[in-house]
Amino acid sequence: MELRHPELSPRERALREGPAPRLRAVAASLLARGGRLHDRGYRWLTSGPRSLYGLAMTRILLGVVGLGVLLTNFGGRHYSFGTASSWNGELAEPTSDFPRIWLFSAFRATAESPALFTALYLSAIVAALMVTVGLVTRPAIAVHLVLWVSLIETNDSLSDQSDNAYRIFLVLLLLTRCADRWSLDTRLRDARPGRTESLDWLVDTVHNLALIALVFQVCAIYVAGGFYKLAGEAWQHGYAAYLPLQTAQFGTWPVLSELVTAWGPGVAVATWGSILVQIYFPFLLLRRRTRAVGLVAIMTFHGSIGLLMGIPWFSLAMIAVDAVFIRDSTYQALSERVGRSLRPRVETPPAARPESELIDA
Amino acid sequence: MQHPEEPARPARALAARRAVVTVLALLLGWHLLASALWIAPSSPARDVVPGDTLREYMLPMFGQSWSLFAPDPVSADYYFDVRAVVGEGDDAATTEWLRASDIELSRATYHLFPPRSASSAIAQAMLLRGAWGDLSKDQKDVASAHYYKGEDWSSRLHEDLVAAGGTDEVRTTFEEEDAASIAYATRVAVAVWGEDVQRVQYRVARHPVVPFDARHDPTSARPSPAFVEPGWRGAERASPEAQTLFTEYFCSAPAQVCEV
Repeated sequence: MELRHPELSPRERALREGPAPRLRAVAASLLARGGRLHDRGYRWLTSGPRSLYGLAMTRILLGVVGLGVLLTNFGGRHYSFGTASSWNGELAEPTSDFPRIWLFSAFRATAESPALFTALYLSAIVAALMVTVGLVTRPAIAVHLVLWVSLIETNDSLSDQSDNAYRIFLVLLLLTRCADRWSLDTRLRDARPGRTESLDWLVDTVHNLALIALVFQVCAIYVAGGFYKLAGEAWQHGYAAYLPLQTAQFGTWPVLSELVTAWGPGVAVATWGSILVQIYFPFLLLRRRTRAVGLVAIMTFHGSIGLLMGIPWFSLAMIAVDAVFIRDSTYQALSERVGRSLRPRVETPPAARPESELIDA
Repeated sequence: MQHPEEPARPARALAARRAVVTVLALLLGWHLLASALWIAPSSPARDVVPGDTLREYMLPMFGQSWSLFAPDPVSADYYFDVRAVVGEGDDAATTEWLRASDIELSRATYHLFPPRSASSAIAQAMLLRGAWGDLSKDQKDVASAHYYKGEDWSSRLHEDLVAAGGTDEVRTTFEEEDAASIAYATRVAVAVWGEDVQRVQYRVARHPVVPFDARHDPTSARPSPAFVEPGWRGAERASPEAQTLFTEYFCSAPAQVCEV
């Protein structure tokens, strides 16, 4: 492009040359700005994986959720998913789409052979364990995902939204480098001579994109949940938290249910508080201080419903993904502190960090 | 500045990399847009995606719905009760109603990690109740009558339901849930009262909790449960292996009901 007034800035040039060139200059400046944004985005995506500790924590906790659900239901595996559940007709005619897809049909196909079914169930447990400790992580996540979906979707009537969330989280986790920290894979790799991957930039980019998708997914769950609640009268009038706790299914600790719903204002705070924390969660994340507030609030929310409503694994699955909102520097500091306190106190510890850094979320 | 020993990366490779990253970022953009439209309450915003593309992209892998406990939270217990006629001729006896849903729930109440089995009768009660609610008065009358004599009771029930009119969809849904409920009731009856079970009856109920404002008022009675009670049906047995597994598990619940 030929520059007619190289000594002038685009703005001065536009002023001198009238409206048409001015428009052109505005367009050029917008393009330049867009280009810079594109550059920044490109750099953010390609300059190394983000939140490696956070996603390692997500992986560990999602693995624990998988293990937890599988072990909790081990005794009732035939009754809930296998041949003893055939009365509901889902083994013959699945309600869910998944059991009809070949990849997710294993449990349905083996339901009538309890021994095979149990063997498959045990392999799902092993895969969950491998995900937790980070052994052959990516294949382990894939296997766990396939077995999990094919088990859970065998009985759609016992499935709930937590299963959808867990499945989506696993799909996205599969695309990340969640085994780069706190995993057996790293230890094994460290023992071998290092090798560099020529496609690292691609793996990193996919990792970062999947991280964005996870963050978006979990925020969307909260905000949509809040939106739907706003439409309900019991939520508006501040007593919705009371109702499920009075049922046997969602009030698994009747004495605690009585206790926590006895005082009206407390019920209102819990009811409105759950709506507010859900809708405002993404905005609380924007700044460091409010992020800590948001995380404490959402953990309290999950902790309470996990215990009082008898849905601990659902709560833990959500906490697992919320774990990416804690910065890697915080995890490193925590990890060092834990490491120090585990090591015998012979040598003097490395430079101590100020307390404030340790609780920084 | 380039390092002298490091060859300059060909500009074409860099451009290709940039193109790949841009395409991946656009894919993410689509995923986020689709997820947002799918997860948000349905709105005219969904029209930005033409045709059935949104559904086809989201289902089944990204299927989800977050209207949990909303707009109206769960505010009632659901019951699944079973009774049976056990024995033949002069020995035939009708059992008391047994609340199977409570037996299952005893695995959840005061347990930190409730298994899913704790609510399978509840889930069936809700499905049956929903299907029943869609039936016409005539269809409900048919379903409330008793069908258990002979081998052909289920085909007689089917014919009478068809004759009662209404859409195929409503009738089929009820028939499926009725069949599942009968099969469940039979498994429970055999587990609890033994192999001599001749016929079964089930009923399901929705029982609202004490209203919030009345929770401290000892004189206020909890609203009564509303029962749905189809007639007696012939027993629908499971394979011996399935029944054994059912019995072992059902009878090992903390609430003991099975005759040992």
